[in-house]
Amino acid sequence: MASVWTLHFRSLPLRIDSNIHDSSFDKMQPCPITSTNRIAIRNGISNLRSQLKHHSFNSIAKFHHRLVTSISMPPFLLNRNGGSNFPIWVCVAVVVLIAAVRVVSRKKERPGSVADLVRRGQLRSDRRGISRPLKYEDPFNNPFVKVGKSDSTVEMCGKVYRLAPVTLTQEQQATHQRRRSRAYQWKRPTVFLKEGDEVPPDVDPDTVRWIPANHPFATTATDLDEELAQNNVYQKHGVPFRIQAEHEALQRKLEALQNGEKLNKLVIDPSNAKEFERPFNSHARLNDQAEVNNQEQKPTKLVTDSMNAKDFERPFNSHASLNDQAEKSSVNNQATDFDSPKIDCGPNHVENASSEDPTL
Amino acid sequence: MPPLQLLPAFSKPLTPPSALLQWNRKPQLSGPTPRVAVITSGKGGVGKTTTTANIGLSLARLGFSVVAIDADVGLRNLDLLLGLENRVNYTALEVLNGDCRLDQALVRDKRWSHFELLCISKPRSKLPLGFGSKALTWLVDALKTRTSSPPPEFILIDCPAGIDAGFITAIAPANEALLITTPDITSLRDADRVTGLLECDGIRDIKMIVNRVRTDMIKGEDMMSVLDVQEMLGLPLLGVIPEDTEVIRSTNRGYPLVLNKPPTLAGLAFEQAAWRLVEQDTMQAVVVEEQPKRGFFSFFGG
Repeated sequence: MASVWTLHFRSLPLRIDSNIHDSSFDKMQPCPITSTNRIAIRNGISNLRSQLKHHSFNSIAKFHHRLVTSISMPPFLLNRNGGSNFPIWVCVAVVVLIAAVRVVSRKKERPGSVADLVRRGQLRSDRRGISRPLKYEDPFNNPFVKVGKSDSTVEMCGKVYRLAPVTLTQEQQATHQRRRSRAYQWKRPTVFLKEGDEVPPDVDPDTVRWIPANHPFATTATDLDEELAQNNVYQKHGVPFRIQAEHEALQRKLEALQNGEKLNKLVIDPSNAKEFERPFNSHARLNDQAEVNNQEQKPTKLVTDSMNAKDFERPFNSHASLNDQAEKSSVNNQATDFDSPKIDCGPNHVENASSEDPTL
Repeated sequence: MPPLQLLPAFSKPLTPPSALLQWNRKPQLSGPTPRVAVITSGKGGVGKTTTTANIGLSLARLGFSVVAIDADVGLRNLDLLLGLENRVNYTALEVLNGDCRLDQALVRDKRWSHFELLCISKPRSKLPLGFGSKALTWLVDALKTRTSSPPPEFILIDCPAGIDAGFITAIAPANEALLITTPDITSLRDADRVTGLLECDGIRDIKMIVNRVRTDMIKGEDMMSVLDVQEMLGLPLLGVIPEDTEVIRSTNRGYPLVLNKPPTLAGLAFEQAAWRLVEQDTMQAVVVEEQPKRGFFSFFGG
């Protein structure tokens, strides 16, 4: 309030002065200005100034008095010296606290989340379980559906609906079936051929589906090996075919590399051999790596390329992890796969293991 | 063409027709298991995927093990409706290629562990030409004979729209079909054609679900009634699903309608349809319109 008063007082004299000046000049205009009465005018102006000054002070004082008397001050402001400003500070503190809590809570809610949408009123929170999954009542005893005693009405969700009996008879169904059998003559296609392919001799031409040349099937797809695909679908246990095949191919590559090294009479570092044999022992691997680093100084020994070593580590991991997955027959769906991403924790996770191990 | 026979569901009704709704007990599974049902419509956007998700989860809630196969290869959405899109790591294509086993490609729902999802391929992967009816039949057969867990009691196949290669693939392993239609003439024409193709393929057990029914429009004669639809198609009714704005909300949230709390009209209707599917029952009466409330002011026309 004090600031408002000062604003009023700053603007007040200017406005009053201008008014007074206007009125004074209006009064002076009819007077003729001559050389003989210049002194008198000067004296008059000085008198007028002093009058105006006095008048303005009076008007300001009156205005101030009127302002003070017009505004009724609240009692707690009037009694400020009485020491009763404690409730004010309590209110201010509560407001600040609420604002701070709201700011913090808004920062926690991510924009676009369901909770955020609910807060903005775009979703209702009472309709679906956002945080709580549905455990609604016994589906065998649904209280929301009640059939009337005469079977002519049904009450669903509080609204009563009139029921009409179904009048379809078996004769009408048979009539419709006959109509459709006459209208739609169709054989389900069993063979899909691209345009330009020849129809196999033992295939009914009516069951051939011709795929246009610009169809996505024809342009982008490759044919499946039917026997192999069928075996893959019916496989119930063990490592899937392709993973197994990739593993075997990499194993053959490793053996070929080892044989090639033997033929070249090169000495394979035993530490590297250990690395291939025991990929899960991270401690041993780290120790062995330390030994390798020491042995790298010796020019007579050949150390297998570390890149190749990494290449060979992956199939062992995947193979082992797949075996682990195959053993867990009860948890073989994707939910468990998704929930347990750390199944494959072989040498690819050496750094994590070393960081977690306090002994290292 | 073999001579047409009457539908087995009608030749031998398993439940007394007097019972409109039978709660207070677990539905009695009828027919040889696993039951393989394709959910198809012909026309797009009538609610095939929504029906698959909701009926599948309803069956799981009722205690039956369900595998839902999203056979809409190019435009798969079932994973989104179920909120499982982040958990699809392997698909049937990886199974065929030998990158994983079939049991690894099944995504188990954490809310209802009886429910599993199998996607055919990832959205941007190239589907080989060889993938077709044979491959889906192998997958269904492998599910029937799986040993890692008990074989499912229901296999629901979400069929793509149209009658192209995806439709041919999806209907191949099915024994029964759920035809989804809306009460408009475009959807009805497509539904009639698809029904004819299914019957030509030897699928006799076809039941109809009429979706997006609005009783207020039926009352104003702006929409065909369910009985009109049935008269045009001549198919037994499995369910009538009212139009519900909650469908869009549940779709966007990845939380199927039947899991709503409190339940919605459409969710209850899906639940009843699932109940009838288990018992191979059909609707004996349909909802026509909302009954006007009778009170003191109704005397004055209020």
